[in-house]
Amino acid sequence: MKRGLIAWDREQLPPAVFDARLGRARQALAERDLPALLVYTDVWRSHQARFLTNFMPYWNRSLVVIPRDSPPVLLCALSPRVYPWIKSVTIFEEIRPASKLMATLDQLCTERGWSKLGVLDLPKLPIEIHSGLRGREIIDVPSAGIADPDDAEFAMRRKAAKLAREIALTNHVGELERSLRRAGAEDLVIRVKPRADGAYSVALALEYCGHWVKVTRAHGPADELAALQASFHDALASGGGYRENLAGPQPYEPGMGPIFALTVEHQDLFYGDTCSGASLL
Amino acid sequence: MSVINEHRRRQLMDLMADRGWDSILLYGNGWRKDYFRSLVNFNYSGPYAAAYLSRSGALAIFVNDLFDSESLYLEAETYPTQDFADAQWRASAIAGLELMEQRFVSGSPVSATADVEELRRIKTPEEIEFLRAAADLADRGYQCFADTVKVGIREYELVAEVEGFLKSQGAEDNFMLIASGGTEVVGMKPPTDRKLQPGDSVITELTPCVNGYYAQICRTIVLGEPSKGQLESFAIFHEAQQAAQDLIKPGIRASDAARAQNDVFRKYGYGDYTGAKYTRVRGHCLGLFPDETPHILEDVDYILKENMVVIAHPNTYLPLAGYMVFGDSMLITASGNRRLNKTERKLFVKDLA
Repeated sequence: MKRGLIAWDREQLPPAVFDARLGRARQALAERDLPALLVYTDVWRSHQARFLTNFMPYWNRSLVVIPRDSPPVLLCALSPRVYPWIKSVTIFEEIRPASKLMATLDQLCTERGWSKLGVLDLPKLPIEIHSGLRGREIIDVPSAGIADPDDAEFAMRRKAAKLAREIALTNHVGELERSLRRAGAEDLVIRVKPRADGAYSVALALEYCGHWVKVTRAHGPADELAALQASFHDALASGGGYRENLAGPQPYEPGMGPIFALTVEHQDLFYGDTCSGASLL
Repeated sequence: MSVINEHRRRQLMDLMADRGWDSILLYGNGWRKDYFRSLVNFNYSGPYAAAYLSRSGALAIFVNDLFDSESLYLEAETYPTQDFADAQWRASAIAGLELMEQRFVSGSPVSATADVEELRRIKTPEEIEFLRAAADLADRGYQCFADTVKVGIREYELVAEVEGFLKSQGAEDNFMLIASGGTEVVGMKPPTDRKLQPGDSVITELTPCVNGYYAQICRTIVLGEPSKGQLESFAIFHEAQQAAQDLIKPGIRASDAARAQNDVFRKYGYGDYTGAKYTRVRGHCLGLFPDETPHILEDVDYILKENMVVIAHPNTYLPLAGYMVFGDSMLITASGNRRLNKTERKLFVKDLA
């Protein structure tokens, strides 16, 4: 579960940013003559709902419903006792308790008279949710064009990358957790990969206010580290290396997009960073 | 520690024979690693993993990350297939099917989720040792929490200190909720930037994970001299939790363990605060997932068994002092239960001097 600081700084991410993002979603609905868009989210697959509404289920799962002509509704499996807090860190004004997600969705659809729904990235919907939509016309709405990074997204990722790069990555995972969470990291996935001779690599995936970045550093002989860095810059310029999207700590979604993590390997040591195009982000 | 759980492999082979399945797939994603890890206890990093077991007992492992393949080979001497997404998932049955993405499923597999969850509820001696280690770490983690908490620290800073401690002691993961304040506190959530104040109740559920297994402790600490309401409230929580601990043994229903706790609240006139408006569950099972079923609730008709590990926690809101928590992990033994946590069973108090 997420146990770092979950916050919404409205100066960093003004409500107008979310208005524009929802506008793109509604445009996609209009193009397909759909009344609403369904977005699945859980504790790990949270980036799309976060991008559109700033909501992140720190535990459990939820459904975000974006009607074409009215404010979004959150169908939330978390207790109503935390809804005031959720409202304080998201754009939601309406949250419905949904321990049974599909029953609550059915009720909403009936109330609004919706016989069909758009689903963001339908093939990636969990089976249980997909099965619950049987009997209803559902249309795949690809996230491309809706969830593409905008200026605010780039700015937040830069802040996250700066936070990750400022910490000297060591194999003392406890100290990394302590210092990065104190600095405001919302979540961390830290992996240390040792080499037989005592050299090691540290891969840090860091989430800051819902924005994931990844930085990998190595500790070992100076000549090998120099070779690694050179290899990294070559790969960045040439389009090579191991590239992952940054939908989460792991690349859940296919494709690199404009922001990606690039990692290179040299003699079992690893080096990587968060990039955009042919530059560091 | 063996990466492949041979006991579980035999159980799954028996299950397949019983159900007439040719194969079973144990699926895991970033959130729910527990089905996969119940057979292959490997803490994968990638977004997906799967273990495919045939009726004859042949095992194939699939992971989806650069680091995972090599690590798994070193730990299990099994070279996994890396590309999860290209695999053809034609298993007869899938544990974790409900979580699986639509694009990964072909054919019409049946769900093995409930069957596998039932197998997992009864812990092996090795699993019990992991849970003991996790409970010990929960105790030490709470000591760190109690040592660190002070007026002026922000909730997320306190959690950062505890998280750093747990990870430095080998925890793989941690499930942790927190809240601070008084009667305005109606539940727990991730930490905020609120600064702790004199008189606050600071409550936490702390659930470190050791070798994949989660054990939990719930305690409340007061910053400064506790108020009459805090003391009165804690006495009710203590009595309720003790009632469950006195009752729990093989053959007892989960509903009875919940009722024993709720009846204490009713006795003191707080029965209204045992329902969904103010609380979630009276406890739950523990293991490879921090919130395993069955939940301890009055409407859950499940008979508890020897070698299950459960927590009884009557955590709820009371108007006396706001939301409060108190609970310990327990191993159900042949004749009763044994508390796995060693932390004092008291309302903790932080001296402000």
